[in-house]
Amino acid sequence: MTELVRSYGRPLTAIFIGLTTLWILGMILVPQLFMAERSFWVEEKPNDISLKIDRAYADLSTMKFDLARAEGPGKDEIAGRIEAKKREIAGLEEQEKQPRKVYTMRNYTRMSALHFQIFLRTIFYAAMVTVLALVVCYPVAYAIAQVATPRRAAFLMLGLIIPYAINELLRVYAWLMILDYQGVLNTMLDWIGVTDLATQQWIPFLQSPGAVFVAMVYAYILFMVFPIYNTLETLDKNQVEAARDLGASTWRIHWRVVIPYAKPGMAVGCIMTFMLSAGSYSVPQIMTRGTSGDWFSQTIYRQFFESNNWNNGAAYAFTLLIVCTLFIFLMMLVFRVGVRDIAR
Amino acid sequence: MHGKDVELQGVSMVFGDVVAVAPTDLTIRAGEFFSILGPSGCGKTTILRMISGFLTPSAGRILIGGEDMGDIGPNRRPTALIFQNLALFPLMSVWENIAFGLEARGMPKKARRERAMELIDLVALRGHEEKRTGDLSGGQRQRVAIARALAVEPAVLLLDEPLSALDAKLRQHMRAELKAIQRKTGVTFIYITHDQGEALTMSDRIAVMNKGAVEQVAASDRLYDDPQTPFVATFVGEQNVFAGRVIEAEAGFALLDTPFGPLRGRNRDGLAAGASAVLCVRPERMQLVNGALPDNVISADVERRDLEGPFVNLFLKRNEESIVLHLPNRGAAGRELSGEQQIGFSADDGLVLTSGRLARD
Ligand SMILES: Nc1ncnc2c1ncn2[C@@H]1O[C@H](COP(=O)(O)OP(=O)(O)OP(=O)(O)O)[C@@H](O)[C@H]1O
Ligand SMILES: [Mg+2]
Repeated sequence: MTELVRSYGRPLTAIFIGLTTLWILGMILVPQLFMAERSFWVEEKPNDISLKIDRAYADLSTMKFDLARAEGPGKDEIAGRIEAKKREIAGLEEQEKQPRKVYTMRNYTRMSALHFQIFLRTIFYAAMVTVLALVVCYPVAYAIAQVATPRRAAFLMLGLIIPYAINELLRVYAWLMILDYQGVLNTMLDWIGVTDLATQQWIPFLQSPGAVFVAMVYAYILFMVFPIYNTLETLDKNQVEAARDLGASTWRIHWRVVIPYAKPGMAVGCIMTFMLSAGSYSVPQIMTRGTSGDWFSQTIYRQFFESNNWNNGAAYAFTLLIVCTLFIFLMMLVFRVGVRDIAR
Repeated sequence: MHGKDVELQGVSMVFGDVVAVAPTDLTIRAGEFFSILGPSGCGKTTILRMISGFLTPSAGRILIGGEDMGDIGPNRRPTALIFQNLALFPLMSVWENIAFGLEARGMPKKARRERAMELIDLVALRGHEEKRTGDLSGGQRQRVAIARALAVEPAVLLLDEPLSALDAKLRQHMRAELKAIQRKTGVTFIYITHDQGEALTMSDRIAVMNKGAVEQVAASDRLYDDPQTPFVATFVGEQNVFAGRVIEAEAGFALLDTPFGPLRGRNRDGLAAGASAVLCVRPERMQLVNGALPDNVISADVERRDLEGPFVNLFLKRNEESIVLHLPNRGAAGRELSGEQQIGFSADDGLVLTSGRLARD
């Protein structure tokens, strides 16, 4: 703090700190807290409230009847009671309109077996996508960072980035078109004679989870390639050569020298890919044409916008967040890297 | 371990339109401490990388122990390379670094560790075996690199300026250690350096390179006293260079017409009268004249006196040409030297060479 003030002066420091605070509040704390708070309560209408209202109305009409008969000083007293009753009714009716907030864990414990299954499957699939992306991206990142000449590396990089200039939805739709029943892949297989589109003998790629996998790996590949590329970029080429000079096979060079070095990048890539795919909505929605409710994010979406049960939705979303956070720690453990390495 | 000989036959390396190494023939004997000396960018590393197999020569053949290395990759050559920046594996401990080559050969862990410990003793690193290489000092890292290379029992050890990152004291010490290790193991050392002192003290023979070409291969004494080209003469050690034309040549000596008047030196190249030449004289072979006149006498004005410790650099000047002398440090006696002085040298200490490029150009 004092260091900041010393290097930038008071006004700039105030701006820095103000913006940082705003960012932490606006981007991290407030939405999460709102979500968390929301997930811990349900709206409850006291179930005997309408009965009470009915009874109060009955009382009221009796009093009105009494009022018409009454005479003398008792009349004023009854009029006063009627006013009080009316206020009570107004209060009760207000309560009926505004249900009570009841704090409870119910949103978490009440997840249906089906939803829980979807949840587990999503976590598993997301982990599979992550592994797949890692396997695909490591060689790519290595090739760009270490093997290719600078010119070719720039070319490869451009080839990876350009698709990301296109909207994510369009990219996913492209895969839909490729894997569709009468899509590009089936048409090509038709040419070689593996399938026969005319008789509707096609391979239903879209019905396998593989379709979602492929589209997801494609959609999030950059988030895996870049962190790995970034760490491998700084790997001294001489180390690879030294290992080779000492007689190591290509496999051993990677296992003992390159992969250990790339671990922080791999951890970051895995975390990002896992989070993105676990929370992905558009990819499963598009690839399954909204027919399968296979992905947990779709379930959450329905909780919010179809069942209109925001509290339950918040609990689901928060559960996903917790799992993702646990995944971060798991990755740090698996790759034996600290927060410091990841931030690097 | 036994060293093998290395033979370069017409080896050259061209990168695009840069000739990094001109066609070169070189024979390095088995068990020899051979240095390649040259200024930065002259192609030293390139030669080493061709011998170790990381670069394929544009032309020519490389033989190690009489065997053509054309089809043999770096991981199967009997060479080990110590990189200019050492290239230790930062995520492995010292002993794992040293044992890596054995691991690659499939030696079981226990045997590997035993062998590594032997090498750790050889390079005096006992007690550091479990440390990460990043936690070692420069000299210790150096020794890890040497042990790691020796672990695979190479016949030829290639060292690319391995001492350049060390301070002067440590460098001195490591020179002695390297030399001792070389003697003990009998491995052929090919040692690259741009430090001529290093090359002169350690090597059996030295090749001096300039702009991709080997200019001379000789033992230290020969290189110092009998350089073949003006480049070698001026790159190795210091020289006073007098350019001029040969006036007369007779009986192995030539008289040169220089800005300091006619000067005589050994005419090793057998130059004839009229040839353009340079006369090279080492600063320590020149003396202040008192009493008997030597073969060559020059007068010049004292400009500056720098104390080096054991000797003194005396700078003199005449007509914008400067001369430097190394005089033994005799204490108070030489301190008050000034004004015009007569200096001289024997014709045997002057070397007349065909004029050519100097190291400082
Ligand atoms: N891969 C390459 N591509 C193009 N030019 C190269 C390559 N490697 C080396 N060179 C060029 O070849 C020449 C010799 O390089 P080299 O590394 O062998 O020099 P060096 O003698 O080892 O120098 P230093 O003492 O600075 O290490 C230099 O001009 C260098 O720019
Ligand atoms: Mg070099």
